[in-house]
Amino acid sequence: MHFFSQAFQYDHPWTHVVIGMWHKYPNSKCTHVVSIDTIDRSVDPETGIIRTERVLGCKQKAPMWIVKLFGGSEDAFVREISFVDPATQNVTITSVNLSLSQFATCYEQIRYSPISPTQTLFSQTAEVQARMALWRSAADSLEKWLVQRFEQNAQLGKSGFTDVLRNLWEERHRASP
Amino acid sequence: MSQSLSEECTPLKQKYDSCFNSWFEGYLEPAVAASQSAETRAAYSKKKADEFQEKCGKVWEEYKACVQKAVKEKGLDKLLAQAREENPLTEPPTHPPSSGQ
Repeated sequence: MHFFSQAFQYDHPWTHVVIGMWHKYPNSKCTHVVSIDTIDRSVDPETGIIRTERVLGCKQKAPMWIVKLFGGSEDAFVREISFVDPATQNVTITSVNLSLSQFATCYEQIRYSPISPTQTLFSQTAEVQARMALWRSAADSLEKWLVQRFEQNAQLGKSGFTDVLRNLWEERHRASP
Repeated sequence: MSQSLSEECTPLKQKYDSCFNSWFEGYLEPAVAASQSAETRAAYSKKKADEFQEKCGKVWEEYKACVQKAVKEKGLDKLLAQAREENPLTEPPTHPPSSGQ
C-alpha cells in the first residue's frame, strides 16, 4: 500500500470554496478531467446534508507497460461521493477508481473545513493498493498450471526415453546378434 | 462548463448543473446560519429540499435517464454496482482527513 497526504489553506471563506467546488472543472491546469456527470443527488430534509454521487471521466496516458499488462485505455473513470454539511461546515469527498479496479484501488479522501471566517483548510489523503487477493489467486493458478505442465512433460519424457532406449538396443542386438 | 461522458447528454447536464448551482448558491449561507438550532435547521432544510425538487426535478429526470443509458453503454454500470456494494457511502465518512496537519 502506498500513501499520500497533503494539507493547505485557501484564502477564501468556506462557503465560497464550497460554491466554487462545483466550478472546479474544466480548468486549464487539469485538462485530464474531461467529463463530469452527476448520477445521484439528495438533499436531506432533516439535516440539510447534500449527498452527491458523480462519475468523472479522465484522459491520461498510461505508461506502455501498464497498458500492455492490464489492457487499460486512455479513458479512466472515477466514482466520487461528496457530502456538504452546512451545520458542521464540513465537506467530505471520497473518490475511488472504477477503471482497472479489478487490479488496484486508489482511494482518495478530501475535506474542506473553515479555519477562520476568511480561510478554508483543504486536506487530502490517498491510499493506493493493489488487490493482493487477486495477485495471490493469479499466482496460485499460475503455479498449479506450471506444476501440471511439468508433470505432463515428465511423463512424456519418461515414456519417450523408454521408447528411445528400447529402439536403440533392439536395433543394436539385431545388427550384431 | 464541463462535458458529459456522452455528447448527447451534455446539453441536459449543463442545464441541470446550472439549475443546481443557482439553487445551491442561494442555499448554502442561510443553511449555515439556520444551523443554530435543530428546529430552524430542519425547517429550512425541508423548505429548500422541496424548492430544489420543484426547480430542478424535471431536468434532473431527463438528464438522469440520458446519463444512465450512457453509463450502461460504456460498461460502467457493473463497475459502479460493484463499487457501491463495496462502499455504499450513504453516510459521511467517519474518519475524514484530520485538520491541522
